[in-house]
Amino acid sequence: MIALARMRLHGFVRTGRAVAPLIAALAVLSILYGGGQAEAREAYGVSALVVFPLLAWQTKILLDVEPDVQRRLARVALGSARHEIVAGLLAAAAAGLGTIAVALAVPWISGGVKTGPDSLPRILLIGLGVHLLALGPAVALGALSSRAVTRTAGTGAAVLVTGSVLAIVLGLQGSPAPWLVPPLMAATRFTTSGGSTLTALTLTAHAALWTAATAWAYAHLRRTRT
Amino acid sequence: MHLDDVWLRYHRGAPWVLQAVTARVEPGGIVVVLGRNGAGKSTLLQLIAGVLRPTRGRVTDRPAVVGWVPERSPADQTGTVTGYLSAMAAVRGLRPAAATRAVDEWVQRLGLGGFRDVKLPELSKGTAQKVGLAQALLAPPDLLILDEPWEGLDAATRDLVPGIVLEVVARGGSVLVSDHRGETVRLPGAATWTVADGTLATAAPDTGQRCVVEVAVEAADLADAVARLREQGHQVLRVREEVGS
Repeated sequence: MIALARMRLHGFVRTGRAVAPLIAALAVLSILYGGGQAEAREAYGVSALVVFPLLAWQTKILLDVEPDVQRRLARVALGSARHEIVAGLLAAAAAGLGTIAVALAVPWISGGVKTGPDSLPRILLIGLGVHLLALGPAVALGALSSRAVTRTAGTGAAVLVTGSVLAIVLGLQGSPAPWLVPPLMAATRFTTSGGSTLTALTLTAHAALWTAATAWAYAHLRRTRT
Repeated sequence: MHLDDVWLRYHRGAPWVLQAVTARVEPGGIVVVLGRNGAGKSTLLQLIAGVLRPTRGRVTDRPAVVGWVPERSPADQTGTVTGYLSAMAAVRGLRPAAATRAVDEWVQRLGLGGFRDVKLPELSKGTAQKVGLAQALLAPPDLLILDEPWEGLDAATRDLVPGIVLEVVARGGSVLVSDHRGETVRLPGAATWTVADGTLATAAPDTGQRCVVEVAVEAADLADAVARLREQGHQVLRVREEVGS
């Protein structure tokens, strides 16, 4: 399973497909941090929100690199449909960690943030945490929009865009159904307004549940749509 | 391995591709899958390989190590022949030393030595097919599934395929092979499955020894000659034009 994840990650990088989402991430982060210094803790909250659709798009690109027949060969070689599916998600998560590292480093390199009252290690920990909250749901959404499930480019793009927009709209304060989407907006509010450990744990549980439910839907659709 | 009342369609409302298929693949058995284009041979083979799931029914007792050679090998991906085969060996769980040995063995046996560092998209159809064959054999398969394996192969490699099949069978493995070229006549003791109209008809292995006779006829008499041979119960495997006459 790890070997297949590595093979897919290599394919993603060596075909040059990793370049477009990386450039898009750098562009978005440049805009985000180009308007003067912000407190790093708050900036990371917004960064995680804007990086979410990029991580989902990156996941779709990574999973779509592999030809359909090769995906089937991988399934036969592994002898397990479940392991083949998990290998793809692992590869996407690993690629996402790379993008998150860029998102965490760029504001310090560009001078777009200041530490504020928190220490640097604490800020980095909060930044990593809030980006990781976005990573799981983004990988699950990107997988759900991949060709193996949606079959056509149009349907894949529609799933990706709709999922990303709903994640923001239904996450706004006063939303009637914030539990339907990953807690991206809530996480952003947490970093700007602060909150208790219980709030952080609730957000983590919400993101984990949403990721698990969406990943289950992806796995179910993959097993019925080969 | 058993196929127990297996039905398959690609999505709800679509016509059934396979209906009420019940069959058994014995260890050490060879099965030749026949049928016209679009009859469902490749679908049946993918079902047995574990690529497709039956819509109804069950496939049980599938062996642990399955080698599948698809009709068209996926050459439109990155990496060289050696890189791809090494990666597939790792996916199959082979340790680096064993993977290197397996890759070297099949590269040599299939005549891929001169293509080791060639990128997959630059391969000809036949060479890509050899790579597809090699990836299925990196770990000795308990079940080898060959979908039109002779397509695009050169004569030397075509001659190797029956030997590879017999090696798998000698180890107690099973082999399923689809073929429309008549090459499977070189697989002695093979059972025959015929796919037609979504159903499967099975026939036990022909125990009598069979021979292949090459006969040259005048082009004008070809249709009559083929018809007479078939009337007499002979199997006409293929008709080819004599080159250089």
